Amino acid sequence: MPVRVVDSSAPSQVSGGNSGSTCPQPCTLLSVGQAFSGTQNVSNVQKDEAWRVNVRIQGCDLDHGYLCGTMEALNVPMADTPVITFWEGEIVDTKNHTFFTGKWEATLEDDIRHWSKFPSFSPLQSQVEADGGKSLDLSNYPYIFMRWKELYFVNVGTDCGLTIAGFYYVCFSCSDGSINGFYYDPNSSPFQKLELKSTNEGRSGFSFSSYQLQ
Amino acid sequence: MAKSLVKTERKQGFHFLFPLEIPLASATMPTSASVSAATSASRPSTDLVARLGSSDREVQLKALRDVKNQIIGNRTKKLTYIKLGAVPAVASVLSDAIDGSVCGSSDLLVQSAATLGSFACGVDAGVRAVLDAGALPYLVRLLSSSDEKVIDSGARSLKMVYQSKLAPKYDVLQKSNMEFLCSLLNSENENANGLGASIITNSCKTSAEQKALCDNGVLTKLIDFLDGSMIQREASLESLASIMNENGEVTSLFVEYERGQALGLLVKLTNERSARTRLLACECLIIISNVSSRYLKWKGIETKLISYLLELLEEPGHIGDEASFALSNYIEDKEDLQKLACDANAIDVLCTHLQNQLLQPKRFEGILLALANICSRLEICRAKLLHMQEFNSINDALHHDCADVRAAACICLRSVSRSVQNLSAGFFMNEKIVMPVLQLLHDPSLTVQLAALRAIGNIVVDFRTHKSRFMKWGGVKQLIQLSMSMNSAIRLNSLWALKNLTFEADNQCKERVFRELTASSLASLICDPEPCVQEQALALVRNLIDGSLDSIEYVFVEGSIILNAIGRHLERASTAECKVQGMYVLSNIASGSEIHKDSLMELLFQDRENGDPLYILNFLQSNDSHLRTASVWVIVNLTNPSCLGASGRTVKLRNAGVISQLKNMVNDPCLDVKLRVRTVLGQCMTFGE
Amino acid sequence: MSKKVITRDEWEKKLNDVKIRKEDMNKLVMNFLVTEGYVEAAEKFRIESGTEPDIDLTTITERMAVKKAVQCGNVVDAIEKVNDLNPEILDTNPLLFFHLQQQRLIELIRNGKVEEALEFAQDELAPRGEENQSFLEELERTVALLAFEDVSNCPVGELLDMSQRHKTASEVNAAILTSQSHEKDPKLTSLLKMLIWAQNQLDKKAAYPRINDLSSAKLEDPSV
Repeated sequence: MPVRVVDSSAPSQVSGGNSGSTCPQPCTLLSVGQAFSGTQNVSNVQKDEAWRVNVRIQGCDLDHGYLCGTMEALNVPMADTPVITFWEGEIVDTKNHTFFTGKWEATLEDDIRHWSKFPSFSPLQSQVEADGGKSLDLSNYPYIFMRWKELYFVNVGTDCGLTIAGFYYVCFSCSDGSINGFYYDPNSSPFQKLELKSTNEGRSGFSFSSYQLQ
Repeated sequence: MAKSLVKTERKQGFHFLFPLEIPLASATMPTSASVSAATSASRPSTDLVARLGSSDREVQLKALRDVKNQIIGNRTKKLTYIKLGAVPAVASVLSDAIDGSVCGSSDLLVQSAATLGSFACGVDAGVRAVLDAGALPYLVRLLSSSDEKVIDSGARSLKMVYQSKLAPKYDVLQKSNMEFLCSLLNSENENANGLGASIITNSCKTSAEQKALCDNGVLTKLIDFLDGSMIQREASLESLASIMNENGEVTSLFVEYERGQALGLLVKLTNERSARTRLLACECLIIISNVSSRYLKWKGIETKLISYLLELLEEPGHIGDEASFALSNYIEDKEDLQKLACDANAIDVLCTHLQNQLLQPKRFEGILLALANICSRLEICRAKLLHMQEFNSINDALHHDCADVRAAACICLRSVSRSVQNLSAGFFMNEKIVMPVLQLLHDPSLTVQLAALRAIGNIVVDFRTHKSRFMKWGGVKQLIQLSMSMNSAIRLNSLWALKNLTFEADNQCKERVFRELTASSLASLICDPEPCVQEQALALVRNLIDGSLDSIEYVFVEGSIILNAIGRHLERASTAECKVQGMYVLSNIASGSEIHKDSLMELLFQDRENGDPLYILNFLQSNDSHLRTASVWVIVNLTNPSCLGASGRTVKLRNAGVISQLKNMVNDPCLDVKLRVRTVLGQCMTFGE
Repeated sequence: MSKKVITRDEWEKKLNDVKIRKEDMNKLVMNFLVTEGYVEAAEKFRIESGTEPDIDLTTITERMAVKKAVQCGNVVDAIEKVNDLNPEILDTNPLLFFHLQQQRLIELIRNGKVEEALEFAQDELAPRGEENQSFLEELERTVALLAFEDVSNCPVGELLDMSQRHKTASEVNAAILTSQSHEKDPKLTSLLKMLIWAQNQLDKKAAYPRINDLSSAKLEDPSV
């Protein structure tokens, strides 16, 4: 369930799916409390390496195209403990954010180059190259595109040997909750791949909890 | 005599030097002979009141003037004289002078009217006394005098009455009343105009009244006054606000009057010398903006309005106070205006005012509410406020003497604690912030309790696992106590806080909550008389049973008391929200072990008379996409192929018509529903069609 | 880079180029006389210059009577006159009312009527502090006068100055003007304030002949 900020004491819900908007619809698998786990492939010329990664969604505000959560990297050679970061995400909804990043040293070419590595992006590519995708109707598209930017280390210092200078291009599949991403940082190895699946954390089925801010 | 002042506490200082009681029985003359006559004459006395009834006109007149000059500006004296029965005495002077029509009695008329007016000025007891003494009709008769001073006096006094909420309702829908009102507005006498406007401000409440006034040319007249004297302008501004309030038709009439001239005039008045005029003009514009924001979207009026209000905060007294509330009102719920306010440095300005040591309670409250509203939707605003030094003042305001200030501080805190970034960083879960708020849960004022409770509801969404601190400070205990309150709003908000607390909480925290709340209390809350309380109770269960697998056991303790309560609830649940939460609870149960899934099946199918559809079938057909989604998740989990009993459960569900219902939903308009339905159907195919 | 320098000649030439109509100057003078309440002077000026005052001169008389009463220390008289003029003024102006009561106390103390002053403070001033907390500080200052034997030498002694009377008198004058829908400050005062402001702004950008003494309006050469 997405986080709703309500002013009245009695919470109210929006009924019906979509009211003519072209923004992505809410997806229960991408809501607060949902967890994902998988790997980030950090291979470079010298060697093959992958870290185990866990991600958890903490905040979700679809009206503003905003998402946030934590990312935990395990078996990182430089660190003694798992390294946790806090990240904020921009949801590409053509209203708040478009496919063009426009910051973080990512050019238009970088954007296209990364988005096009997601198979689910191809149907949209020509439109995006034409006008940034402003006229796209994403409301029924079963994939959600995002950019995730880590803001700070939660449990270690900045001297831990890891960098969070870059950001991830992310593609989320609404049908099975799987996440694919590519880390972009001009000063790191390119196209480090993030592959996550929605975890059930030991359950045989999906379980959902939520909170609401007043 | 002391050579130097003893410095004592602010409030005590004066008390130290003089006792403050004014003896009520000051009917006795002062005993000291050295006290001059001047002072003794200025003490309220029954003697003076008696002289009001003298048959000697000179004595009467002098007594009237004495009383009048004693009470004007002096609230304390007004109250004293009211208790001494002065008001009926003065009213008698007035009525006798009118009925008797003694020639040359205009003095008595003017003075008695002025005295009555002063009693009514800003003092509720005074207004009541004037009304009870039957003076109103007599004051009205003064308005038809030929003596300008008499009209002035009568009009001013009536205006004082009509500025009070105790004034009798003036029914403008009645023809003669409307005519009289119009005659006041058309009069040459400014005070009569002012009275007419005050009556409108006081009595115009419904749209029928607003329309009737417009139809009788009142709107045009009021617009004319905007160009008149200050009395006319200010009275008119207040009336215009009443007439246009929440009325689209009248507002558009005003805005379009003479192609926008009236609106232009209004905007010009926001630049007037007189602070009161500026404030009233701003408030009028806000009324217009609340009807439709598009009216103010030209020439940057919206931004200017915010700057003017911020400037008006500098004014002393109630003008500055009102300005803060006006600003609050203007930006409430409007994200674009909040952004404008932030860009106009409103947060800095408001915080500067917080630095004032002598900040009066009313203004403090207004500023806190304005800050709360600015931060209500935008993260940039919250981030800004949280990093200002003056955030400490907001924290301190939680201890303020005045309940309204405490409540406003909680509201402000609640606003800034919507910041997920800062909740994630653990900003709020510290003693300095949480302890005072927890104390306010016992505040004598219910409003404060509720405000504190809502703030806590946000604060406990701490992601840094500082929830254990909250438990240590006794927070859980208090919340659970409050969940048993007789007051439904308190029950609702304490459950809400517990729900937020148990989101992603560790087992220790959940165990603590569950144990102290007890299964039977939770079960009875699920059946609470209020649906919104039921909803929160269900949401709390949902969070409790998420996480580690064995937390699902919570619904099975004490003979499955909670599970049964949920089942009963779903049979007859009233609101969609309750059903949604209920289904998510079932969904969480269905994500558990075989035993959990089978128990759930039993629940879904129990007490079924043949032919009765399962309630889940109804839910799947609901108009509410959230309910459809939640219901499909239950089925997704029940038919999860990795589980042994999945095929058996699928057969049962198919026989009950659930699978065919899902087949109808393959192209559900809601993407989430559509995808989950396809997941179920995909899972079912592994068991054969 | 340094500031632009404007010489006396250049400046005086610019000044001479500004044309101000005599009627406007007259209006300014009349406005000043009328706002400050110099009735006779206003009458004379009207006859000499033909300028019409923008306030009814009869209302000025009443207002001046009030102002004079305060300036002579007859506060009770002033209060009665204000209430006769318009009872709303003191009823809706708590600060003004408080200041008048304060002045009354000061006059009692000045006349050595200590016991009366004590009673007055208790009966009339204390309630003002109760009604309105923001008055408490000034209230304490005033009452402090009673604590000193040698009032002219105490920390709050300035309350006994004539300037305090003038301050109160001005306040009443302004309130009456406002209630009659008139500007409470003469336009001349505003113009002088603007002159000072404009010079301050210009100081940042240039050195020029400045007016430093407003009463003589002498131009002083820029120090280069």
